[in-house]
Amino acid sequence: MFDATVLERFGIALVSILVAILLGLLMVAAAGHNPVVFLNNLIVGAIGSERMLARTLRLSTFFIVTGVAVAIAFRAGVFNIGVQGQFVVGGLACAMSILWAAPYLPSGGLGGVGLMLIGTVAAAVSGGLYGALPGVLKAYADANEIITTIMLNFIAIGAVSWLITNPFREAGSTNVQTEPLPASVGLPPVVFGESGFSVIGLVLTLALVAVVAVVMTRTRFGYDMMTSGYQASAAVYSGVDAKRNVVATMTFSGAVAGLASALFVIMYQGRFLEPASIHTYGYDAIAVSLLAANNPLGVVPAGLLFGGLNSATSYIQIYSDVPVQLIDGIVGIVILFVAVPELFRMAARRADYGGEDE
Amino acid sequence: MSVVEYAGRRRVRLVGLAVVAALAVGVVATVAFDVPLDRIFTVGYVARSMELAAPITLAAIGGLYAEKSGVFNIGLEGFMIFGAFFAAVGTYFAGGSGAVHAWAGIAFATALTTVLAVLFAVLLIRYKADQIVAGLGVWFIALGLAPFTASVIWGSRNSPRIPSVGRLTVPGLSEIPYLGRIVFDQSPLVWLTALVVVGSWVFLYRTNYGYWIQAAGENPEALDTAGIDVNRVRYATVIFSGAMAGLGGAVLLAHSSSFVGTGQTMVDGRGWLGIVAYLFGNYNPIGAAAAALLFGGVDMLQGQLQTLNIELSAKLLELLPYIVVIVVLGGWGKTRVPASVGEPYETKD
Repeated sequence: MFDATVLERFGIALVSILVAILLGLLMVAAAGHNPVVFLNNLIVGAIGSERMLARTLRLSTFFIVTGVAVAIAFRAGVFNIGVQGQFVVGGLACAMSILWAAPYLPSGGLGGVGLMLIGTVAAAVSGGLYGALPGVLKAYADANEIITTIMLNFIAIGAVSWLITNPFREAGSTNVQTEPLPASVGLPPVVFGESGFSVIGLVLTLALVAVVAVVMTRTRFGYDMMTSGYQASAAVYSGVDAKRNVVATMTFSGAVAGLASALFVIMYQGRFLEPASIHTYGYDAIAVSLLAANNPLGVVPAGLLFGGLNSATSYIQIYSDVPVQLIDGIVGIVILFVAVPELFRMAARRADYGGEDE
Repeated sequence: MSVVEYAGRRRVRLVGLAVVAALAVGVVATVAFDVPLDRIFTVGYVARSMELAAPITLAAIGGLYAEKSGVFNIGLEGFMIFGAFFAAVGTYFAGGSGAVHAWAGIAFATALTTVLAVLFAVLLIRYKADQIVAGLGVWFIALGLAPFTASVIWGSRNSPRIPSVGRLTVPGLSEIPYLGRIVFDQSPLVWLTALVVVGSWVFLYRTNYGYWIQAAGENPEALDTAGIDVNRVRYATVIFSGAMAGLGGAVLLAHSSSFVGTGQTMVDGRGWLGIVAYLFGNYNPIGAAAAALLFGGVDMLQGQLQTLNIELSAKLLELLPYIVVIVVLGGWGKTRVPASVGEPYETKD
């Protein structure tokens, strides 16, 4: 699927989305609901008001950062299905390191910035280490990273859930959650009021995308990673240590997943809670990255689309009877179509345009 | 020392180490903590472990056939979810509460997942879909659409109570100590699974078609030269893998009381364990069944410990099978994969 040109990929992504939404609308109709109303709810729920737009942008930032994490690994020919687990581990590390460090720092703005830095570093380091684990297993024990990362997701969710239920639980709380972070920790919303979304978060996200894009295309490290993905034998021939490269890639990917959860904890939740209840950003990120043909820059529009879809989910849940799991199904159909560029090429040939690749 | 030799020795060392470790844990548990091992590893424990292993085994056998022939079906988890869900739907609409209705549900589920597997096979083989990505797509579709349709039908992601197939008790023979409860007082679906395991082994290693399947994965060009249509063999195995995973999901449902569509659904990673099971079993149906039995046993262990009020968090115990997978994969590594897995085959004519 990586043999398509940029224009082809863009077309495939667009058609996949349209066909998947069309199929979704058919299912809505088959379930006895009005598809026009559903489509309207989908759009209103994503961008219908300032509050909904803020929700869309907030979710988009999480999808963009986790999507970049997936893209880094996929580009290097390694499948990191474990972003969800790295996200969960990073989120807990972020929240707990801030809570532990809080008494030692001043409570004002400067202390808050210090705490956020500590939390962000802790999230990136722990996410990176959790990502390095399947990397080491792949490089030195030849263990399939698809399987190990999925197993590590289950382990991370279960173990963190246990930690938050037992030793790290908020004193006297009936909810499974950590203590709230100090008031000095958080990003000012700038434009959107109390929405759990900060324009600063979006700016940081875009900056991260730019940094990753530069690292991937302009540094020796990124070059080694990418050649390993596309031309493994050439990479080894030019002196790349393939094993170390796999570990480095997975660590980098996991660290970015950790950054996503730092943003999640600091900008949005203000604490960490039951990981099984957190949206599956790490899994959806696979779809985001694939839609973007694993290009860090392409992840931005793909992430915005997923932010919109998921924001609309909340709206549809409240204002209509259509079961919202449909959206997850639509996401799955998008992934399935993206996997089959040949289907679209053949369709295009049938329709007699764009057949020049033969 | 060659790499193969090293891996071989390492495997022996590892198995030895595992046995010693298990014995040590057993001794420490009985002596120091007074854990009643004889009350944990009961006959019922073995029988129920087999019940838990059956769905994983079926998915594993399907997956190993597909991968043997050169196609990695990573969508097993998704097919299992569809299987469990369709079985619930079939049983529900068959009405009544007898074992007959449960069987009807299982047949319905297997038939419907076979149809889905045909579509999947066409995408993978005719349209050369990326196998990993398409398989993940199937998983996501199942995770979304099964609970969606459940909500449409039952107004909830979970189904109402569904009748089960019950146990097959052979009068007289079931009285035999130990063996009676494990073999002659067992779910008929465990029997069915055992039949599939043995049948698959015979088919794979003792028939011509079995050799074609192996050739399709190892050396498709040679098979093509011999006049056998490689892609037709692959269609057969991919469709079979979907059908078996669907049956596995249906068996899972028939052993429980209702379809659960919340979270990762009731399948909860068993399809992934199926993939791991055939990797451990080195693509041998009997090895895969043994590995699945290991997962079933570990899974059952937490239930056993809980009934004995042994203070270990249920949440942590639930992680045991996944940890076992990581440890064994880390020590054991990947078994030898068929040479042409993942590559679409194009006839050169």
